[in-house]
Amino acid sequence: MTLQKYIRITDFCQGHALQESFLYQLHEVELIEILEVEQQPVIRQSQLDRLERLVRLHRDLEISPQGLLAVDHLLDRMEALQEEVLELRRRLNRWE
Amino acid sequence: MEFIDYYKVLGISEKASEKEIKSAYRKLARKYHPDLNPDDPEAERKFKQVNEAHEVLSDPEKRKKYDQYGKDWQHAEEFEKARKSREQAGSYGQYTYSSGPESDFSDFFESMFGGFSSGRGQRGRGFRGQDFNASLTLDLREVYQTHKRTLTVGERNIRITIPAGIEDEQTIRIKGYGGPGINGGPSGDLYITFHLTNSTGFKRKGANLYKTVELPLTTAVLGGELTVDTFNGKAKLKVKPLTQNNARVKLKGKGFPVYKSEGRFGDLFITYEVVLPRELTKEQKELFESLRATNL
Repeated sequence: MTLQKYIRITDFCQGHALQESFLYQLHEVELIEILEVEQQPVIRQSQLDRLERLVRLHRDLEISPQGLLAVDHLLDRMEALQEEVLELRRRLNRWE
Repeated sequence: MEFIDYYKVLGISEKASEKEIKSAYRKLARKYHPDLNPDDPEAERKFKQVNEAHEVLSDPEKRKKYDQYGKDWQHAEEFEKARKSREQAGSYGQYTYSSGPESDFSDFFESMFGGFSSGRGQRGRGFRGQDFNASLTLDLREVYQTHKRTLTVGERNIRITIPAGIEDEQTIRIKGYGGPGINGGPSGDLYITFHLTNSTGFKRKGANLYKTVELPLTTAVLGGELTVDTFNGKAKLKVKPLTQNNARVKLKGKGFPVYKSEGRFGDLFITYEVVLPRELTKEQKELFESLRATNL
């Protein structure tokens, strides 16, 4: 069934006691993508981890969707830099 | 079981105000949040501590209890006794809460506060139910007085009180009428947004009302009386001689009810629109001619 690859935003919001409008705000700032499948608004399952991270940051630190946009961008950069550091360390190890 | 100095965890004094507690919590939560410190178990441990400290110190009852017994650590045995008696009660089915092996709270917290928590940061506990949104369209006249109304939301009939003076697009919250809680969490809330239509002829700004009325030329020039419609009846106005076109008068307390202020009303502003004659009789024309002769 097509819906297996997706999660209905209604189900996600019920499970996390969230208002659906919050997800639409995230969609507006392009942090997530809400699609329509079988006439139901859904998100891709692959976006679930990212979305849950955004929800935790919003809840725990009271960060607005616009603030989440900045945090998300910086976290992505941080992860990329960490990977780069690891790669450079690996290369350095070869010479030591 | 180790005593935890929650004030030290948040880096505040024992006399810290609620604002200082919240501020310290925010700073530290930002610093140690696991999502901002991926793969850092130490940050995660500190984040849990910070959450626990905030859970206790931001709740006046828990803080009082902590201040009373927390410092005086020899009372630990009493906490233990209390904990054991709670556990015993639980085995008879009187307690439904169980913190479980994956609790985010320390043994110290759980022995002192029984593991129950309603604050943020906890995982695996009850979730608040979903909030419901509804809208209701009413005419301005219907919100002139406080009244009750029955609504059907999610197959439930709810009788609500609509306070006089509610504004267009205003939203009110009906606590506990949203979706049911999950895992024993509280129900969500119902938010009702009001849309007001206006067929009354009065313009409304907050609690003040505005209306334009026609004023005959002779009354404007010579003064007199004029009866005008107010929102809940009629009012007789004394018009001063030589009243100008677009002159405005205020009828104090004849406006709209002030929201949630029983017995208080705004003002009604009447703007006069002096009406010039469209036709004149021969006699009236002669009278105007004689007025013109006086250089009026």
